[in-house]
Amino acid sequence: MKTLVYSDSQDIAAQLVAKFSQFGEVTLLVSSGNVDKLKKYGPTSIISFEGPENPDALANIARTAAEKGQHEMIAIGSTTVGRDMAGILAGMIGADVMAEIVDIRNDGGKIVTRRFFLGGKTVLEEETTSKIFTVSPGIAEPAEKAGSPPIEHLGLAASSVSVIEVIPKMASSEDIEKASVIVSVGRGIGSKEGIEKIRPLAEALNGVIAGSRPVCLDYQWLSEEKQVGLSGKKVRPKVYLALGISGQIQHIAGMRGSKMVVAVNKDKSAPIFEEADYGLVGDLYQIVPKLLEALKA
Amino acid sequence: MPYQIVVLIKQMPDLELIKPDPSTGEPNVKSVPLRFETLSKHATEAAVRLKEKYGGKVTGICLGTETAGQVMKEAFAMGVDEGIVITGYQGSNPRYTARILAEKIKSIPHDVVVLGNQSADSYTGMIPGMISSMLGVPLLGNALSIELSDGSAQVLRVMEDRNEKIQSKLPAVISVTQEINEPRLPPVMQILAAGRKPIKTEKAEPGKSYTAIRSNKAPKSERKKQIFEDPVKGIPEVVKALKEAIR
Ligand SMILES: Cc1cc2nc3c(=O)[nH]c(=O)nc-3n(C[C@H](O)[C@H](O)[C@H](O)COP(=O)(O)OP(=O)(O)OC[C@H]3O[C@@H](n4cnc5c(N)ncnc54)[C@H](O)[C@@H]3O)c2cc1C
Repeated sequence: MKTLVYSDSQDIAAQLVAKFSQFGEVTLLVSSGNVDKLKKYGPTSIISFEGPENPDALANIARTAAEKGQHEMIAIGSTTVGRDMAGILAGMIGADVMAEIVDIRNDGGKIVTRRFFLGGKTVLEEETTSKIFTVSPGIAEPAEKAGSPPIEHLGLAASSVSVIEVIPKMASSEDIEKASVIVSVGRGIGSKEGIEKIRPLAEALNGVIAGSRPVCLDYQWLSEEKQVGLSGKKVRPKVYLALGISGQIQHIAGMRGSKMVVAVNKDKSAPIFEEADYGLVGDLYQIVPKLLEALKA
Repeated sequence: MPYQIVVLIKQMPDLELIKPDPSTGEPNVKSVPLRFETLSKHATEAAVRLKEKYGGKVTGICLGTETAGQVMKEAFAMGVDEGIVITGYQGSNPRYTARILAEKIKSIPHDVVVLGNQSADSYTGMIPGMISSMLGVPLLGNALSIELSDGSAQVLRVMEDRNEKIQSKLPAVISVTQEINEPRLPPVMQILAAGRKPIKTEKAEPGKSYTAIRSNKAPKSERKKQIFEDPVKGIPEVVKALKEAIR
């Protein structure tokens, strides 16, 4: 089966090339500025374009590319832009979408996918004939491959949406997906200053600090790429230490793969304790210094 | 200028009440009551605030079940003016959902269509894009704020590594993030008054889906669940386990 892949995130684009190469030829649709960075991952062919990556324009170019190349599947990285593009494309060509997949395989000629459902409470395994897929980050490990794929240019149509201003976000170089110890903080941390009080514990464990959605998005006490959960990063560290996190299902969906989970929460009926190996009931500001002391002893 | 605002409202099972069956892992979805889906509530709040700021009328459309009237009454109490409930499709193929909704929207005046970016239960994120292309109008996606002026809309779009201020002509579809607002809790009087408002109920033609579900199960949790209420006892145990784990 032949797949057209696209993501506005270079990381996800490389993962898509690796994953969908299992099924046959892969055409990478990519902004011309990123061709050099992505061609080393060995797509069968490349279609490049120039211009702003707006969902409707991308849906149009994907449609043209897939018609020309007769691709049976179109795989799009699940980002803000990717989801909107996939929806527009599906509406435009009347094709079904299998959304937010975390796994895809060929099972005796049938395409079988897996995705979270009910807010992350369950995993749906489905047989599908959908043409379009949106793919969660982390579906495969990108691998470099020798070769020089042919590159074709296509024009990008104008978007019905104009970008007036780009507002950069601060990003840190720390990658929580690669950390083996994560100290994760929730709304129970109470303030941005609270995070500094946790840092010595994270350092003693050689870990990185991550957080729940409210901490990263609502209050912005941590930057957005530190968010763990259904709509954030899916992490699987050796140790996941949850401080002042209630354990709502959308959070659990992002840390379920952790090897060992330790939770600190002042509410003994907090759902996080259902997902923990070890739990300490109490005020995190009293417990964290004691943990640190005992760790160093 | 008064705006015709449409808000799309979804019902979802109360996720907190969903428990996997201990032996099969399958969720007890059918026995759980349906409530106002989280992102739809943020969308409703956003729609009502647009009306309050710029003037106009908000029409809520809910593709749901026979109990959707309850959710629509809550929406009325929040400030929605008119409600349409469409029943008859219980499947989860987003393209059918979008098609039914788009057909309805086409039949009523609309300058702005507001909806959640990704619903809290099924979480496909497909409805905004699908509706936008089915209506043939621009999509301003993942909005953290919305402004309207002179037949156009401006939105602050949240993206992974940056935010963007984007703009399009009206009519437009606008999807919102959960951080856009804190939905109001309407006073009791308003909810009571809302109960008397008429709701239009219609039936949709369901399509058939090409997807076969093989399984829908909660992943097995094999956590030790050693919970200590006394830190004096707990901390040494936890530290021992931590040291073991990071060795
Ligand atoms: C579509 C959708 C996607 C979502 N995606 C995500 C996601 O990716 N990630 C995510 O995290 N959430 C996500 N959410 C939000 C999620 O539903 C919860 O609202 C969120 O996880 C709650 O964050 P929290 O645990 O930090 O805060 P709360 O639920 O407010 O919990 C705070 C906890 O801290 C405890 N506490 C307070 N003070 C102290 C103290 N001094 N010491 C110890 N404990 C204390 C309290 O007992 C409480 O349990 C999503 C929601 C939706 C609808």
